[in-house]
Amino acid sequence: MKDHKKQIVLALLVTAALFVFSACSSAAPGGSGPSGGPEAGGEQTAPKSGNSVHSAVDFDHELDSYVPLKNHYNFYFTYKTVHPWWDAVALGMEEAQRQFLDKGIVITYEYMAPNGASAEDQTKRLLAAERGGYDVIGVDVADEQIISPLIDRMVDSGTKVMTFSSSDAAEGCKRLAYVGNTHNYQDGVDLTEALCKKLEYRGKIAILVGSIGAPCHEDRAKGARDTIAKYADMEIVATEYDMDSVDLAYDLTLQILKDHPDLDGIVCCNMSNPVGAARAILDAESDVVIVGMDHDEEALRYLNDGVIYCLGVQDCYSIGFDTIRTAVKIADGNLPGGLFPEKTNEITTVIYQEDAALMLELLYGEIA
Amino acid sequence: MKQDRKITSRTFVLTAVIGSLLIMAILTVNTVWISNRMSAATEEAVSAVSSFYLEAMADRRAKTITNLISNSFDQMEKAVSFIAEEKVGSQEELRDALGKVKSLLGLNRFALVDANDVVYTQYTTYTGGSRHTFLSDGQLNDRIISTVSLYGSSKQLCLAIPTPGLSVMGQRFKACFVQFDIGYIVDLLAFDDQGRTHFALYSKTGANLSGTELGPVILKQNFFEAIKGVVSEEVREENYQNFANGAEGNLSFAFDGAQETLYYVPIQGTGWEMAVLIRESVIQDQIRDISEKNLENSRNMIIVTLVSALIFAAVLLLQIRNISRAKLEVEKETSRSFRMMANTDSMTGVRNKHAYSEDEAAINRMIKAGELEKLAVLVCDVNGLKIVNDTQGHAAGDQLIKDACALICRQFTHGSVYRIGGDEFAVLLEGKGYDSMLEVLAETNREIEANISKNAVVVSIGYSFLDRKDQQLRDVFERADQMMYERKKELKAMGAASRI
Repeated sequence: MKDHKKQIVLALLVTAALFVFSACSSAAPGGSGPSGGPEAGGEQTAPKSGNSVHSAVDFDHELDSYVPLKNHYNFYFTYKTVHPWWDAVALGMEEAQRQFLDKGIVITYEYMAPNGASAEDQTKRLLAAERGGYDVIGVDVADEQIISPLIDRMVDSGTKVMTFSSSDAAEGCKRLAYVGNTHNYQDGVDLTEALCKKLEYRGKIAILVGSIGAPCHEDRAKGARDTIAKYADMEIVATEYDMDSVDLAYDLTLQILKDHPDLDGIVCCNMSNPVGAARAILDAESDVVIVGMDHDEEALRYLNDGVIYCLGVQDCYSIGFDTIRTAVKIADGNLPGGLFPEKTNEITTVIYQEDAALMLELLYGEIA
Repeated sequence: MKQDRKITSRTFVLTAVIGSLLIMAILTVNTVWISNRMSAATEEAVSAVSSFYLEAMADRRAKTITNLISNSFDQMEKAVSFIAEEKVGSQEELRDALGKVKSLLGLNRFALVDANDVVYTQYTTYTGGSRHTFLSDGQLNDRIISTVSLYGSSKQLCLAIPTPGLSVMGQRFKACFVQFDIGYIVDLLAFDDQGRTHFALYSKTGANLSGTELGPVILKQNFFEAIKGVVSEEVREENYQNFANGAEGNLSFAFDGAQETLYYVPIQGTGWEMAVLIRESVIQDQIRDISEKNLENSRNMIIVTLVSALIFAAVLLLQIRNISRAKLEVEKETSRSFRMMANTDSMTGVRNKHAYSEDEAAINRMIKAGELEKLAVLVCDVNGLKIVNDTQGHAAGDQLIKDACALICRQFTHGSVYRIGGDEFAVLLEGKGYDSMLEVLAETNREIEANISKNAVVVSIGYSFLDRKDQQLRDVFERADQMMYERKKELKAMGAASRI
């Protein structure tokens, strides 16, 4: 009986210790809360190892009880650039399409992007789609300054336009709804806070942004700048745009390291930045601390190896699934409200080295 | 004779028992030997069967995949021809055509890729440059088989072929492809063997592609991570090289008291290895079941054989004993006959002189031992035999002897009558015969005396009783014999014929 009591007490102590350890190892550095932009109302909780990785991407989706009015919908989606991040979004979309098909509702769509982010290319695609008679047009805004007015005009002329994935249109745009990351600014803040704490709130920082004018990238960069500004001993020495190109991110990082040999950290605001930056610091044998975005497999391996300090992982699969689900409701003439929100928030989870292996397994399994 | 019979019976019993014991011992030793041999042979067979069985299973499953790939490529070629022949003028028509391909040729996810890496499927059109690795290689010159790991860890087999001549809606298409979820392939490979075997597909580096468990040790882990510490580093490296070089091989290790044996074969063109594992305990259990049944049958057979042998031995023994008894009876009877013949007077049927001599010896022993108190001896002599023989012939003489014997026997029914000479008889009387002797003798003499006038048989009888002074029967006999001569004189005086 005594032994049983001892065992129970020991088990409780071990459980408590594990819980504390787990919480400590996964909590965002600097006591920063989880990602969650101003619109999201800070509903996120601190990321935890294991559980946080499992909840970072939700692959288990089911359509809600909404009954579509038609049995065939045809959509057009365009996003910033051909990139694996949007391939992950596509998988969520395909799952929703399959589930609708199981209910006898055919969803056809185009999901197109240029090889490099371009507001001009996106404008052309949107104008062509407008003439295509699609039920809904979805756009991942390449440049909010250029694309938002076009969206307004299209909506005014009766075209149903929504925004999705990483970048919403400018504030006040008439797009009908947005499904995607609503807290890019906060993501920038969270990643930068983690970096600042790692560097003990002193040092020289570079910011790698993505495409010029891309709201998600710009918002994160702004979050990074605002965070750095809070600490007197920290300084931004460079801000560069890689235009969502890994190669360009690599070149820019090498150049920054050359220009600022005493660089301490890099904030990467998109998916290609951290990959290019990590390759560069490895080649340069630098010990610069990298924080970055997204779930690129190579980036996750760098995270696992300790080359990258932390990554903010977005739930692309849910973004894709919710995009199709929302598009169907919009196509039926519904407006944001009870059936769907004006902005469907999708989560971002900051993960660290100890989470990398599990995230790699979860997202990519193992092949090579 | 009695002693001989005892030895014979014991010999038979001993022979039967020893024989039975020997049979039992031989059977037991034979059974143990066969069991040991069977056990050793089973071990060898299990090992051989495991390897053979696994190799066959791995080959069969690998062939299923290569057939799937080969058939799919053929179907893709047909699909391209079909689409080329269709009059496709719009994207909708192209989607319809792709839908027909799906239903007609069973190609679940068939897609075309145009020159700009735009992918066309039945329901979607998308820019696929970053999604499909085979497109990143640029020019597509030959069939491509690749493994794709999707976001969400789903793994697929991608088959692509170039379509240099395909032009639809006025634009050139450079390739078509299909993707199979590896889970679908696993379903094709799985069959119900009640969990006796396990299989899994692996990449060249040992990554589990099928998501299936390869037994209780390797599970779904990376093959080489899982066998670390389970086999020697040398064996691990050897198998690693086999995987890397697309070679086949096998591996065996002990776990939880059972031998795990696995066999792997490369799947042509995929870079995969198909591994099949079986726990030898599964085969051993089955063979053990069979062996136990055989042993039980052998045991039953031994018992039946032993019982049969014992019954047979018992029957044999009984028969031998019966035969012996019958032989002994015959011998006894023969012996009795010989004795009868030796001790019986052939003419009169009473005991002869030889019998008298044997009995005299026995009586003498009793006299010496003081065991005999009452004994009377009669000595009888037939009167006139010589005259009858001489005057009437020997046949009449013989008849006279027979008549005399008949008279003596009729009178002295409680005594032993002996013919001890040609015309001489002796009667030994004990018990009742002794007690009534004088009375009977008186009556006999009266009859004899009456016979004188009838010219019938006349017998002179003298008698004597055993006296304490008598050392032997002869003493008594002589007194009786003396008395007989006296009587013979008396009878002669009465007119009876006599030589005296």
